[in-house]
Amino acid sequence: MSHLSRRAFLQGSALAVSAGAVSRIAAASLPEAVIQTQAGTQPPLNPASGRPYQPVVTLNGWTLPWRMNNGIKEFHLVAEPVVREIAPGMKANLWGYNGQSPGPTIEVVEGDRVRIFVTNKLPEHTSVHWHGQRLPNGMDGVTGLTQPGIKPGKTFVYEFVARRAGTFMYHPHADEMVQMAMGMMGFWITHPKDPSFMRVDRDFVFLLNAYDIEPGAATPRVNQMTDFNLWTWNSRAFPGIDPLVVRQHDRVRIRVGNLTMTNHPIHLHGHEFVVSGTDGGWTPPASRWPEVSVDIAVGQMRAIEFDASEPGDWALHCHKSHHTMNAMGHEVPTMIGVDQKSVLKKINQLIPDYMVMGDKGGSMGEMEMPLPDNTLPMMGGQGPYGSLEMGGMFSVVKVRAGLARNDYRDPGWYRAPAGSVAYEWQGAAADLPAAGSPRPAASDAADKETVVNVVKPAAHRHQ
Amino acid sequence: MFIFLRRRVLPAALLAVLAGCASLSPDQGFGEVAALAKPSLGQTPPRARSDEERAASRQMVQQLLQKPLSVDAVVQIALLNNRGLQADYEALGIAEASWVQANRLPNPGFSFGRTSSGDDIKIDRSFSMAVMGLLTLPLTARIEARQFQVSKLNTANRILQVAADTRNAYYQSVAASQSVRYQEQVESAAAAGSELAEKMAKAGNFNQLELAREQAFHADAVTQLARSRQLAVAAREQLIRLLGLSGEQSGFTLPQQLPELPKQRPSLQDSEQLAMAQRLDIAAAKLEVDGLQQTLGLNRATRFINVLELAYLHNSEPGASRETGYRVSLEIPLFDWGGARVAKSEAIYMQAAQRLAETALNAQSQVRVSYADYQSAYDLARHYRDQVLPLRKRVSDEYLLRYNGMLSSVFELLADAREQANAVNAAIDASRDFWMADNAMQLALGGPVNQPPQSAASANPQGK
Ligand SMILES: [Cu+2]
Repeated sequence: MSHLSRRAFLQGSALAVSAGAVSRIAAASLPEAVIQTQAGTQPPLNPASGRPYQPVVTLNGWTLPWRMNNGIKEFHLVAEPVVREIAPGMKANLWGYNGQSPGPTIEVVEGDRVRIFVTNKLPEHTSVHWHGQRLPNGMDGVTGLTQPGIKPGKTFVYEFVARRAGTFMYHPHADEMVQMAMGMMGFWITHPKDPSFMRVDRDFVFLLNAYDIEPGAATPRVNQMTDFNLWTWNSRAFPGIDPLVVRQHDRVRIRVGNLTMTNHPIHLHGHEFVVSGTDGGWTPPASRWPEVSVDIAVGQMRAIEFDASEPGDWALHCHKSHHTMNAMGHEVPTMIGVDQKSVLKKINQLIPDYMVMGDKGGSMGEMEMPLPDNTLPMMGGQGPYGSLEMGGMFSVVKVRAGLARNDYRDPGWYRAPAGSVAYEWQGAAADLPAAGSPRPAASDAADKETVVNVVKPAAHRHQ
Repeated sequence: MFIFLRRRVLPAALLAVLAGCASLSPDQGFGEVAALAKPSLGQTPPRARSDEERAASRQMVQQLLQKPLSVDAVVQIALLNNRGLQADYEALGIAEASWVQANRLPNPGFSFGRTSSGDDIKIDRSFSMAVMGLLTLPLTARIEARQFQVSKLNTANRILQVAADTRNAYYQSVAASQSVRYQEQVESAAAAGSELAEKMAKAGNFNQLELAREQAFHADAVTQLARSRQLAVAAREQLIRLLGLSGEQSGFTLPQQLPELPKQRPSLQDSEQLAMAQRLDIAAAKLEVDGLQQTLGLNRATRFINVLELAYLHNSEPGASRETGYRVSLEIPLFDWGGARVAKSEAIYMQAAQRLAETALNAQSQVRVSYADYQSAYDLARHYRDQVLPLRKRVSDEYLLRYNGMLSSVFELLADAREQANAVNAAIDASRDFWMADNAMQLALGGPVNQPPQSAASANPQGK
């Protein structure tokens, strides 16, 4: 979202019309297949035709433009192989729609008749399932059950009325395991007919997805089931995920869909929120309760809402700590408390560039060491106070006073008022309050226990 | 042969000439041997016979031992110092002595007899000489000349064999000590892993299984190192034996590495013909056959006159006139017509001829095999140098990058270091195999691969 201007919003910043997307004969009857070439968050697409609504902002994504045809909203999705930048320094060979994975967000209004042309440019058949929609059974997109697969080179048409307002997703229901692992998915928003219904000022959407890409490779291992190494939002990993910029006191909605194979407790700092919507629709106000984390199960969608009352840079992340890391070796043994000084020389004779790591913990701090090609550091991302030591499913909600209504530009790091930042104690150690932890009484049982050694930082002084 | 035999057998005047032309040489024919071996060796084999010469060669050996030994230097030392070779040189002297002996006229015999019967005293004097010895002298001299010649060729061949054995032992020894160094690296990597694992276990980060596994790696590496050290000692001792060294002399140093591979994969045309022309064993077999042919001829010529004696008689009896004259006694071939002897000679001749054919066929096959070995050994050594090692290095580099990204552990780095050292060891073996194949090729060809063809016949001063 950096460097966005109002003019860019109006023009729709990086959309390109792909003439080659469909055959010339079909072109006359097909809407343009608009292709996105950038991985950054694109400005919300204000509806130029059809019913009015308050558009959403797709984090590191975009909304698919449409054309009105005799009162029907027509979209054109092209399923195709894409190259997605997961974060600066790493690109992945994925499958997606219209140039990106995930595909563009489709935004319609409750009651709209929608016609979606789906052209398959993948090497195998596909289909699109409109996850959560009420629609005619034959439009549900389950290969073999409700339709034949869309063969490579073919275009299918889906047509139905968006009957229920809410948060939806789309993804293939053909060779799902492969196609989802390759990044085939997208967001769908059906806005309420009444734009003032549960109106918010900023409405962010993103999908949770995960990939297993060998460090140095670019194509996901589609057979992976549990040991993923890239935990992403809209196929982006921190520090490649844009911040969610909001104006102080804005009513903010964040809609999250989970298309990974595990649950994700999404946690927001500094504010409580309510879950205002689920897969099934809007939650009645009486049943909402305040939370700071919401667990989003596999295949689920959640819409959370809060008043951005507190200015600052507030972390928003999955609370599974491995999910806020990029690729790492899950088999790497713990090195904490292991003094390698005597071995180091021996190792260096064999491996001159070897450096001791992990003996004091996992923090790589400011260490910058060469990595395999096309590999993100396990953690990183620079903040105003140094390395954030984060990767994966992590971003920042930036609450600022005095932003313009439609201003999503990154305002930079929060400048905390003087005296409002944690600081180092300068006084004498004796002045500190006593730790006061009572020593556990020695018991006979303790003698039989395994003796373990605790290495405290003081022991490292000699280094 | 018969014609040859007849032509040469009779003029008795020639005997003296021939008998006079054979005499013991100062070097027992070693000069010719040296000339035969030189083209293949690339150096003239020395031979020390006097005390002074021996002292000089000892000094030469001492001097050569000062520096790290090159392959040429070890060959030189072996030629100066290998005792077996020195013993072989003595065979030359034996062959020469036989040859010279064969050229000498047999000593005449003189007999004196005094018999009395009553008053009669009979004094019988005779001067005799084995005429056949005289008659056959040119032939036997030729046979011995050929034997001497064969002996020279065999000696030259021995020199080449010892040189080849020495080169092999050299390559083995250099490679073995090079391997020891890499095996030490393997051991060192395993030791670091084991030591680190102990610290890990102590810190509570490793369980006993993980610790034991790392320690087992190390224990394995220790045995491998011991084994490769043992091999290096054996290889060095083999070299020491061939160099004929003892005591302090065996403290010589070898280069750290085997020589670089040749830039080009050498190719050879007409390698089989080249071997036929160059190989001394073939030349020796040819001479053997020639010699046996002559023996056969002799046996055919003398089948009837095996025991021909010519005696000069000078009898005097008291009171009687002196009797003078000579007597020829001739064995009548009534029972032994010499047929068996001739048949035996023929069989021996044919045997040698077949052996020659076998030698030649084997040599051709050897050349083909060793040429193929040589070329594939070259390809393999090059493959190791240009593909395997750079790729292993790549793998190690990538492991380090993965370590940097906390994608793999130091134990994987160390395991890879072990793998890399093993690959280097295999590359050393391949390089050693190439040089040994090169050596075998030279031996099969009877000369260096890159040398223009050298005819053994032309370097053969007393050939047929
Ligand atoms: Cu998560």
